[in-house]
Amino acid sequence: MADGLINLTIDGAPVSVPPGTLVIEAAKQAGVLVPHYCYHPGLPVAGVCRMCLVEIEKAPKLQIACATTVTEGMVVKTQAPAAKDARQSVLEFLLINHPLDCPICDQAGECELQDFVFQEGQPGTRYGEFAKRFNPVEDFGPDVLYVPNRCILCTRCVRFMEDVAKEPVLNVSERGDRAFIGIHPEARLDHPWAGNVVDLCPVGSLLSKDFLHKARAWELDKTASICTGCSQGCNITLDTRDEVVVRVRPRPNLDINRYFICDHGRMHYRWMNRGDRIEAPLVKKDGGLHATDWDEAFARVLAILRGASGKAVALVSPGASSEALAATKRLLSGFSWTGAFQVVMGEEAPLSGVPNLALRAERAPNAKGAEQLGYTRDYAQALAAAKSAAVVLVLDEPDCAVETDGALIYAGTVLGEDAACRRAEVVLPIANVAEEEGTFTNLDGREQRYYQAKPAPGMAQPAAWVLGQLAQEMGLAEVQ
Amino acid sequence: MAIGVKVMKRPTQQTSYLRATLKGMALTFSHLLRPKVTMQYPEEKSSKDWTLSSRWRGTHRMLTDEQGRAKCVACGLCPQICPANCIKLVPGEDEEGNRYPLIYEIDEFRCIFCGYCQEVCPEEAIHVGVHYENSEYSRDRFVYDLERLSAQTHPVSTLWDPSDPKGE
Repeated sequence: MADGLINLTIDGAPVSVPPGTLVIEAAKQAGVLVPHYCYHPGLPVAGVCRMCLVEIEKAPKLQIACATTVTEGMVVKTQAPAAKDARQSVLEFLLINHPLDCPICDQAGECELQDFVFQEGQPGTRYGEFAKRFNPVEDFGPDVLYVPNRCILCTRCVRFMEDVAKEPVLNVSERGDRAFIGIHPEARLDHPWAGNVVDLCPVGSLLSKDFLHKARAWELDKTASICTGCSQGCNITLDTRDEVVVRVRPRPNLDINRYFICDHGRMHYRWMNRGDRIEAPLVKKDGGLHATDWDEAFARVLAILRGASGKAVALVSPGASSEALAATKRLLSGFSWTGAFQVVMGEEAPLSGVPNLALRAERAPNAKGAEQLGYTRDYAQALAAAKSAAVVLVLDEPDCAVETDGALIYAGTVLGEDAACRRAEVVLPIANVAEEEGTFTNLDGREQRYYQAKPAPGMAQPAAWVLGQLAQEMGLAEVQ
Repeated sequence: MAIGVKVMKRPTQQTSYLRATLKGMALTFSHLLRPKVTMQYPEEKSSKDWTLSSRWRGTHRMLTDEQGRAKCVACGLCPQICPANCIKLVPGEDEEGNRYPLIYEIDEFRCIFCGYCQEVCPEEAIHVGVHYENSEYSRDRFVYDLERLSAQTHPVSTLWDPSDPKGE
């Protein structure tokens, strides 16, 4: 046993944790999930739901695991008859007014009330003869609906707004059985990070309007990804249904975003489902672009690259993976090349309660990675240099106003009707962030991997593969 | 050398077929006098001795509320439980903002009539029907949409009741 650790026993399993650890966290180390509602590791402890009652030897009464710190030699029994009985009673009280409208509730399938009632609740109620309390649905903000009937008053949302977002617009109004979550009469829940209350809500009381009635929790495939909304690099989970991204949720990472993501990132997924994608490689023939196969497209690109010499310019997207950016650099390494990217800027929106967490002004996930690979931010100069370059490669910049006397190669996801890249010699269809695996470097230089959530449309391939294959054909990359 | 065949000497009543023929005819004609069990389908579809079981699981029917709207709230349990994957459901909202199926289709060709959809339905909306006459002139008519499911009028199955396993 290491020094400075406290040894205790939870459900018969010995655990060693640092002093000051809460029993509920120590139990997680022992592999025991103590049922809880008000406790959340990202929020201050409230101890209001009374759900995490456990028996601790030598304590006169049951203790709440979320507000009891560990002591040396403590013996915790989460499954003691008294503790189970107490939790069952708490569940019975919670269900007095809960409407049990699981069939129409968006939370069904990922609802903690459902889980714990199923796990240790009792089959019936003793309050069947009384009518349930009813309050109408309230509109809290741009993306949040409040269904008071389903609320179990865990106050996670209130504590998030007060202590993490530091914009205390929510409270518990009224008292006793009439209590509900109230919002300041002149305020809206429109804080840039307010959407987190939907994730924090253990039941279906706070709902996202964007996700309302869209899919059931059990139909979703979940993929670890990195948010593309800004350069913060928040860890997210992409929820897909039938190969369509329907929801973005935060994935806990204590070093970056803790348990939260901002609303900008949460809503920044629709473009991943665009239907107007380039599905086949296109080559210029008789003045127009014609669909072809990868072999012909590769042959055209190689002919261009082998036949040209001198200057080359790469205009890249700061949303491309580091792998794709490195492959681009390698492909053009035979030329005297310059690479540049431009970043859309927005307003910075920090989350006050978490240090070094904000929606960053730079609205691109991999600007730092591009910079580290030698791409410059001097986009205007690169555009000017493109005019006289022998080869210009545009990587997923569909609105790039490029003009060149040399050969233009465009690797991208979409191609507008009158985009400048329509003049390209070759158009290579590539996958977007939800359709490939890759790496982003966030503003602190932290490299993070994201994974494929859905298949790419048509013949589209990850940009790193396309450019890597070309570099290999050119003899610029190691043969794998 | 010829093979010696042994010829049995039998009494006349056994070598004559008359007796056996008369016996058979007597049995045949006795059926004329017995009660009839044949039903004159399709004029006659049930009789006092035989009806379709109330537990019969046939083509589906969606029950409706007082306003004639389908009771379905698009909870998604029936497509989830369906072992044949024959139910297509797209949830949406109605005019009052309630959860409601935008598309609800059952492919009766794919359906194996297990009745799980009825068993799992929390709103008692989708039912398998006590019904078996399903012929159509084209194959695509066998994908029943919400309107068609709601318009069915046949009785619905009671399914098997574990507390009353013999249906008594």
